[in-house]
Amino acid sequence: MTTLEVQHLTKRFINAHLTAVSEVSFELENGEILALVGPSGCGKTTALRLIAGLERPDSGLIRLNGQVLASETEFVPPERRGIGMVFQDHALFPHLTVFDNVAFGLRGRKPSEVRAEVREMLRMVEMESLASRYPHELSGGERQRVALVRALAPHPVLLLLDEPFSSLDADLRGEVREQVRGILKSIQATVIFVTHDQEEALYMGDRLAVLQHGCLEQIGTPEQIFHTSATRFVAEFMGNSDFLPGKAIHQGIYTEVGWLPQPVAVNGSAPVEVALRGDDVDFDLAETGNGVIMERFFRGALNVYRLRLDSGQVLHAFKEHTIILPVGTRVRAYISAGHPLAVFHEGRAVSWS
Amino acid sequence: MHLTQIARSTLPHWHRARTNPRLMVAAGLVALFVAIPLVYIFIRALGAEPEAWQRLLRTRLWMLMGNTLTLLLAVTGGALLTGVSMAWLTERTDLPGRKILRGMLALPLAIPAYIGAIVHLTLLRPRGGFIPQMFEAIFGQPVPLPSPTGFWGTVFILTLFTYPYVYLLSGAAFRTLHAVLEEVARTLGRTTWQTLWQVTLPALRPGLMAGALLVALDILAEYGTVALLRYETFTSAIFIQLSGRYDRSAASVLSGVLVSLAIFVLYAELRLQGKARFTQMESNWRPAPPSMLGKWRLPAFFLVLAVISASLLVPMLALVIWSMRAFMNPQALAAVFRTGSIGFGSFVWNSLWTSSLAAVAAVALSLPVAIFSIRHPSRISRFISRLCQVGYAIPGVVIALSLVLLVNRLLPFLYATPFVVVIAYVLRHMPQAVRSSESAISQLSPSLEEAARNLGRTTMQTFFQVTLPLIMPGLLAGGALVFLTSIKELPATLLLRPAGFDTLAVRVWIWAVDGFYLQAAPAALILVLAAVLPLSFLLRREQIFR
Repeated sequence: MTTLEVQHLTKRFINAHLTAVSEVSFELENGEILALVGPSGCGKTTALRLIAGLERPDSGLIRLNGQVLASETEFVPPERRGIGMVFQDHALFPHLTVFDNVAFGLRGRKPSEVRAEVREMLRMVEMESLASRYPHELSGGERQRVALVRALAPHPVLLLLDEPFSSLDADLRGEVREQVRGILKSIQATVIFVTHDQEEALYMGDRLAVLQHGCLEQIGTPEQIFHTSATRFVAEFMGNSDFLPGKAIHQGIYTEVGWLPQPVAVNGSAPVEVALRGDDVDFDLAETGNGVIMERFFRGALNVYRLRLDSGQVLHAFKEHTIILPVGTRVRAYISAGHPLAVFHEGRAVSWS
Repeated sequence: MHLTQIARSTLPHWHRARTNPRLMVAAGLVALFVAIPLVYIFIRALGAEPEAWQRLLRTRLWMLMGNTLTLLLAVTGGALLTGVSMAWLTERTDLPGRKILRGMLALPLAIPAYIGAIVHLTLLRPRGGFIPQMFEAIFGQPVPLPSPTGFWGTVFILTLFTYPYVYLLSGAAFRTLHAVLEEVARTLGRTTWQTLWQVTLPALRPGLMAGALLVALDILAEYGTVALLRYETFTSAIFIQLSGRYDRSAASVLSGVLVSLAIFVLYAELRLQGKARFTQMESNWRPAPPSMLGKWRLPAFFLVLAVISASLLVPMLALVIWSMRAFMNPQALAAVFRTGSIGFGSFVWNSLWTSSLAAVAAVALSLPVAIFSIRHPSRISRFISRLCQVGYAIPGVVIALSLVLLVNRLLPFLYATPFVVVIAYVLRHMPQAVRSSESAISQLSPSLEEAARNLGRTTMQTFFQVTLPLIMPGLLAGGALVFLTSIKELPATLLLRPAGFDTLAVRVWIWAVDGFYLQAAPAALILVLAAVLPLSFLLRREQIFR
């Protein structure tokens, strides 16, 4: 069942030359986690604030469970939307205890009910014993959990998370991330989650929406986004790809490292780019090859070699951790991928088969 | 928390909420209220008969301008020198007793300069002063001593009671200065002394400048001291025109010129505001280690002690001793407690309620302005915020002149009531309230308010349940500041009070001018004590007593 419907959402700020959010449309199913991902300044936080009602859209439509929240003519203020939000800096009220923070959103109920509900919420994140503490007495991870259950306590139809893990230390981040995803899935919350970290997006999202300059570049499952990027930008943003120029001829692509027998949907001899990750490229030692080893990075289980082709083009190739070759060795690089590769013409994907 | 605040405040402004029209109207009305007396003075000054201008230009204007500006420069220089050296000695060296000295150096802010002048004058007056008399008794002949009157006397007294502005601002800057800054200078080949001049002081420059400009504004507004020590400036000339000759057009012309001068200074101060600190508390911040004074420890200690003695210990001791003598002298005691039909209690009460009411009103009025300027930054909101700070540039005598004319014309029912006095306090001290409220609100992350909206509160509910409780300490500080400066305010009170409405400041002044310093002492002491309370609250907040 569709929970959230966003149509042609647009927001332009005065004094900003770019449109913050431009014609963004998507739908969100009940119980689904959508990760809104993109580089900083791409409009993802603005999109979230528009949905929360903290900003007013210039045009477009937001509908939650069939009810219009924002349109050309209507605007429901944030306090009447039934949408919960976890802020980047957690925004716990420093003058209230953990208990009162969580109870803040539970109004118009019997005190006993509120108590029970808050206890239940704190139990879920194992924070019952800290109910009477003030926010400044909590660790970063604890604050994170309080912020989460405070937003969840009123049972919002939709929960928004704005870079919730960015204020945590790197070693804590992975742990908290796992806990939070577990909790959200166990209560089947419908969630939009904003991050600039593609790895976090892949981990958290049932689906990913990639934004750039306020426009939605692609929306899909993590696998779709990662393997069949719709644009060169998505491929670039989601994974360390090299883009190898080539020419589309007949039933394949002619590149510097050889013929790639993969048909693409462009007219003859059009310039294209093939996205190559380290596992798509391999090389042999060859004095008469097409490139040279520039650098080797040891990554534990494997070695990553940075190659410079004779044209100056850089490619990365993975080798087993036992194969150690000196810098400056001449090699012959070739494409070793056993699957179709993402190919882009003028920045847009032209092939998956 | 600190870092996230900085991060939030540097967000581009389009990330903030939409302008709320009701808030804008409220802030605009406050600005209008503050601006009217200012604009009115200029209208009156420019509308004065050309004769008045010509007469003043031919005779007094240039003399007054020269007097006022030389005093301004001399006192500002003196306050800078005293303030910075005291701050450096107590914050950055191993001076003995520096923790106690730190607090004592700030306390002269609670003593109005005219009370300091009264004490020093009584002690040092060339004929009849305590100390000259004592010397005459010991040596059998008059001994020439420096006199606290005239230009240098005025500079001396005003420096003693205005240096704390510079001291507090530069002290805060010294405290927050990052140790690494100086260490880097040392590794790049500078000696300690070169580091002080080339790195430390330049890094503190914004704080020092802000302090110096506050001193300058204070000097432009100063009335009691210059009148008592017979050094003629704009304020004393305007006061005489107003109270003695009733020449309002001459007073308007002089006020117009004085306010233009003050606005010039204020403009510089406003430009500096916000840049007042180069240093930031970064996560790896640590305080710079103190400098070792070595053989200079004792001389330095006595230097600080001398400043504290002249500005705090001697005045306080004199007031206490005279108060005790007043209580032992039945005639003086009777005069203290009954002056005509008005008792001592009534002018204590008058001082307290007018200043408290002014504090509450100023803070309440500052709120819409502060919220508007911090949460909805734009050209309009910045203009409104700055307009609300012109009070700094309108000396008490000028506010009085403006209000006398305006109230007479527009609000005759308020004329000759104490409320005009309260209005004058609010107008004059609104800037302190606006600045405190703005700093309180800017330290509050907007996401807290957004979180409350998200959890089902309306704008109003959010203000009362989240914003107000969290900014309350900052508002209290603003209120304390307004109370402190209002209770000390002399010229506006003197000129605007209804007949028979005496405050502590007024009583001290009248008795002192008439030469009854014994009678004045208990009232002066209570006035100072009433000012010490809010001041110590403020200093504690600034963590000066660490």
